[in-house]
Amino acid sequence: MDDSHSVEETAFVVDEVSSIVKESIEGAIGANFYQQNRVNVWTSNVVEQCLSQLSKLGKPFKYIVTCIIMQKNGAGLQSASSCFWDNTTDGREHHYSTSTETVWLGDHCLSNLGVKPVHSVSQ
Amino acid sequence: MEEYHPGDEVSFSPDEASNVVKECIEGIIGGVDYSQNKVNQWTASIVEHSLTQLVKQGKPFKYIVNCAVMQKSGAGLHTANSCYWDTTTDGSCTVRWENRTMYCVVSVFAVAIVL
Repeated sequence: MDDSHSVEETAFVVDEVSSIVKESIEGAIGANFYQQNRVNVWTSNVVEQCLSQLSKLGKPFKYIVTCIIMQKNGAGLQSASSCFWDNTTDGREHHYSTSTETVWLGDHCLSNLGVKPVHSVSQ
Repeated sequence: MEEYHPGDEVSFSPDEASNVVKECIEGIIGGVDYSQNKVNQWTASIVEHSLTQLVKQGKPFKYIVNCAVMQKSGAGLHTANSCYWDTTTDGSCTVRWENRTMYCVVSVFAVAIVL
């Protein structure tokens, strides 16, 4: 397998992730109004659906998907996120309208973290 | 910063991480009331301080720290997360904290760096 071929397969395509997330949200929540007795099912469905579609992409990544659903009644909500990872292989995509964040972590590590890699994770 | 030596045991300790996070939250929003014009500084500080303290432990992990602060006004808030990783080496913990005027939810995800 030459380098350019493997780079394509292991590169992260943000648009691909974005559309997976949007479809998962629409599929799980769609046009529903906030309902306290259903919201836990919705958040679970969003993250599970996202994760399932992402893992089907078959790329060598670990994923973390978080979803926050909040009722609109004027309360303030602020969120922040900070990461310690490898900027060349890892990244995230944030879907603002419903606060769903997908993080992907490549399986290569670099010595800028102070740890020397011996081999990569094999799936 | 502690040095990691290959051969050291690699495991994520949710309790240790929880304590680190709780101290960071208390230090930043411990005795204050929700304030719309300060909340963005608070969430940024909480994630940065938590991350710094975690990295100082010198363990071979990549970290993601998320923080949400919500004003207490009767609104419902629900969060969920799901991870696709190596369950033998990776882990997470979530800290839920509140005071009289706000809720704070911080999640830490730790992914082992393969050696």
